[in-house]
Amino acid sequence: MEDQHNNVFELAEQRRLAQEYDAHLEGPMVGEKKSSHAITEEYARADPVYIAKTQSLPQTYSHYRPILGDGNCGWRAIAFAYFEKLLQLSDAGQFELEIARLVSLDNYIETVGGQDPSYFMDMTEETIELLKDLLALLDNPQVARNTLLERFNDNGRAPSIIYHMRLLAVSWLRGHAEEYQGFLDGSIEDYCTRDLMAVNAEIDHMGMTLLIDIFIKPVGLSVEIVYLDRSEGTEVNTHIYRPIDQSGVSQIGPMIYILYRPGHYDLLYKERSSYFVPHPAATMASNVQVNRATSFSRQHDIQQTQPTMENFSNVDIEFFSSIPGFCVPPPSNHGFPTEFPGFQQAYDPSPVSTSVSPDPSMVCTNSSSSSLSIATTFTPQHSSSLSAAMMSPQHSNHSSHSPFSTIQLPIHTLNSAQPQPLQAPLSSHHSPQHGDVASPPPTNSTFRPSKYEWEAIADWQEGPVIFQTSTFKNSHYNTAHYNNPNFQPEEWSPDCEEAFDSSGRKKST
Amino acid sequence: MADYAMEDNQNSAPGTLPAAQAAKLGDPRRANDAQSTTKRLQTELMQLMTSDTPGISAFPSSDGNLQSWTATIDGPDDTPYAKLTFKLTFAFPSNYPFAPPTVMFKTPIYHPNVDMAGRICLDILKDKWTAAYNIQTVLLSLQSLLGEPNNASPLNGEAATLWDSDMDRFKQKVADRHVDIEDE
Repeated sequence: MEDQHNNVFELAEQRRLAQEYDAHLEGPMVGEKKSSHAITEEYARADPVYIAKTQSLPQTYSHYRPILGDGNCGWRAIAFAYFEKLLQLSDAGQFELEIARLVSLDNYIETVGGQDPSYFMDMTEETIELLKDLLALLDNPQVARNTLLERFNDNGRAPSIIYHMRLLAVSWLRGHAEEYQGFLDGSIEDYCTRDLMAVNAEIDHMGMTLLIDIFIKPVGLSVEIVYLDRSEGTEVNTHIYRPIDQSGVSQIGPMIYILYRPGHYDLLYKERSSYFVPHPAATMASNVQVNRATSFSRQHDIQQTQPTMENFSNVDIEFFSSIPGFCVPPPSNHGFPTEFPGFQQAYDPSPVSTSVSPDPSMVCTNSSSSSLSIATTFTPQHSSSLSAAMMSPQHSNHSSHSPFSTIQLPIHTLNSAQPQPLQAPLSSHHSPQHGDVASPPPTNSTFRPSKYEWEAIADWQEGPVIFQTSTFKNSHYNTAHYNNPNFQPEEWSPDCEEAFDSSGRKKST
Repeated sequence: MADYAMEDNQNSAPGTLPAAQAAKLGDPRRANDAQSTTKRLQTELMQLMTSDTPGISAFPSSDGNLQSWTATIDGPDDTPYAKLTFKLTFAFPSNYPFAPPTVMFKTPIYHPNVDMAGRICLDILKDKWTAAYNIQTVLLSLQSLLGEPNNASPLNGEAATLWDSDMDRFKQKVADRHVDIEDE
């Protein structure tokens, strides 16, 4: 009876969400980027599967961008992400190449896609024109980003770009009919007119695959679809589309993240949170680590790495400062072992190499995993040589001196000298005083224990610790605020500290 | 341009753009809408004038408004509509071709998928609309609809029944209903 009752409740709840969802057609076609915690908030009263999944989501994907669900969201999300990624790469040569490629694809749309150029040229020109406009604005990224957002919200111009996407998918399907026929129930022609070319037909899995194949992969971009649905588990499932290079090897290019909820697509981002901007002093501290890392990698002849000191001093600021915001890699470290096959073969199965396993639960129990999560998390975003270099010290370290301690050392000494905001979440699960960060902090280390370490420390029921600004802390979105529907006063828990002392940290002394 | 500054932005839900900003983003829409739609309709006019498909014709209304057209189709031979000519009106939305035109029969017609007011039930003019369709393809589709009505979803139930059961009476009804209308 209880089960049945719950099921009824769940169904009703789902229906309610679905209805509210469909009703939500207000707002811009492409919204402003915002914190992924907004998604968590949105699902706070949904069923437990959604709650669990959305609570862990912001740990991996820091931001999201809402896309209007008018039947074009999937097409629009891919198209917008394409332009945005090109802007981010900021390579004028690539823009030129893309303009040339899209012009030549007009021919493909006509000959293979069977479309009349006198009608579709107006649409594809809109896409090419936007590329040209953005190319001209490359020196001024902020203006370029605004132009992109405005163009995608311009009802007179954006539909052409989106229809261009549909035409590309149709043409690709007609050009590869034999390959795809088996996946279709009806004829290709029916599918093209009904599901691809009808002006408000939502993209389906096939359409997404077609569009990525013709439009995204040739640029060298990868797409990760993040599925937020009611399937089992506490983490979202993901699927990655990867470009194939000339030799037929699949590559991991710069990644586009797309959030899929049944019937709807939004964009996701993995980015540093603004409040983790490192202080120069922190940079110095991380440089110490980097120097040691290089020496380790030399010692063990990691072939993939050609690290120079200059390289590290260029990248390490971003790299290390990002650690706290990115403490959880996605449940499946896509292709990680295949990307770096050398590692698993070159080293004995140490605690570190077991934690290479994509199974997050294993990683959680491993105290040395914190630094590993750094490397895995960054695999998709940074060059492989960098990731490899950063991993090398752990793998090469077979002594009882845990690699974990090399990371922890600066924090510990700094903490004893000066209480740091990062201690706050350890004694209570509430957000640290990020207001402090705004004022120049004294020798502020940006290191934090990773989520894995924390989970070992305290068996939290509340889900992931939420780093937030003081604005957040004082708002009703904070569960410690009396206006929050899930109000939970801050509590001091002796267990937390005790568990904390008995693991992780102690090793660093 | 300035009026969006006056808009009330207190009602915007958290997560949506403030009204002023949203209005700003959408502000150029009207001008551009008309612009791209006009361009498309000019292209279509060119196509129609150069291709000269027998049995159909279309031209913008005489008032110079490109978003309103008048068209004719000839009833196909071997159908109850043979030797009859039908006038239609097209009204194009401002986001054409990303939304279908509104097409109506001006000439009274007795047909299972057309009601007494001239409204047409045809899937490509509704949810099956694609931006690859144009005036010419719509007219050709309507012409074939005359010979092959979709009796599964009729607007005129009597016509659908007669089409299947009593073609002579159906033809009589078509002839009775038909009135040649003059240009306005």
